[in-house]
Amino acid sequence: MQKDLETKFLSDFENNQNIAHKICRIYTTNQDAHNDLFQEITIQLWKNYPKFRGDSKFSTWMYRVALNTAISLYRKSTRTVKTQDFSDFAYKIKATDYDNTEELQLKALYSAIRKLNDIEKALIFLYLEDKPYKEISETLGISSVNARVKMNRAKEKLKKTLNP
Amino acid sequence: MDLLDNYKKAWSNQPEETNKLSAEEIYKMAHSKSSSIVKWIFIISILEFVVLNSLYFVIDTDETYTEYKKMGLENFIFYSQIVAYAILFYFLVMFYLNYRRISATDATYELMKKIIKTRKTVRNYVLFNLSYMALMMIVVTVTSINTNLNALNNKQIILIIITTLIVTLLILGVLWLFYQLLYGILLKKLNRNYKELAKLDNPN
Repeated sequence: MQKDLETKFLSDFENNQNIAHKICRIYTTNQDAHNDLFQEITIQLWKNYPKFRGDSKFSTWMYRVALNTAISLYRKSTRTVKTQDFSDFAYKIKATDYDNTEELQLKALYSAIRKLNDIEKALIFLYLEDKPYKEISETLGISSVNARVKMNRAKEKLKKTLNP
Repeated sequence: MDLLDNYKKAWSNQPEETNKLSAEEIYKMAHSKSSSIVKWIFIISILEFVVLNSLYFVIDTDETYTEYKKMGLENFIFYSQIVAYAILFYFLVMFYLNYRRISATDATYELMKKIIKTRKTVRNYVLFNLSYMALMMIVVTVTSINTNLNALNNKQIILIIITTLIVTLLILGVLWLFYQLLYGILLKKLNRNYKELAKLDNPN
């Protein structure tokens, strides 16, 4: 039983790990912290996996647990030493058959998102991931009206940073 | 909205992470030790319960008991300790129940409320304990003045009262500062994010 659960978890998570990587990228500023947060997200997902009933998609459930970890559970690790900054984050993006304008836009977008506060980061992230307001408000536990109000403010803030 | 739409397109076209983890690496990670804030709260809270209660073992020696007996306080000490232990038990149960309710699958706002509630349970216990200690100090001082009333002049009585007050306030003050600092560091991020969400919930 435990073995089955484990196998299922590993395949679910392996296929959706990009979600966690994106969250780590917006909530941390260097590779060590990225790995640290990623590890904590993995631990929390596995710990709570028995509670995942499958009545929602694994990815939907994962957004919630991963964001909760980034916003409320994760504490900056003290062993984090200053290593390379994400300004050279581009090394991860393969330039081949990839539009350069989009690459630059993506870089600017990430650095603008990092300037937002933790809650705004979550809102913008879910917006970029094309989540409906219903899901956004359920994930954060606030009313859908408030999610909209706050989302508009976060978008304005983001736009100002992107296009001063 | 067109500006953001452009960026959104770039976002959805972003390449997958190149440093992807294999199932084996994920397995290892999933079984490693968590260093989440909830875990820290749990450890620190347990330490608080242990430290505060082991203080009594240091204070409660046979010698102090004989002193209490001399002052006729043994009944008061006995019953107040029973009450204190009952209250300790109540707080431990509440703390454990609140801790168990914390779940990363909750909505963000709910999760924060539960973490803060758990932390507050321990804070209330600490407050109770500090008040209990202060009360003890006052009762013992008042009684010892009473029993030695004839041997003391007014000046000495006032001196004892002032010294006790200063010492009590000093101890409480230092402990209070220590707690503010501890909670401040531990819960800074959480409190900030909680306020941000709470502000959303009550926009006025």
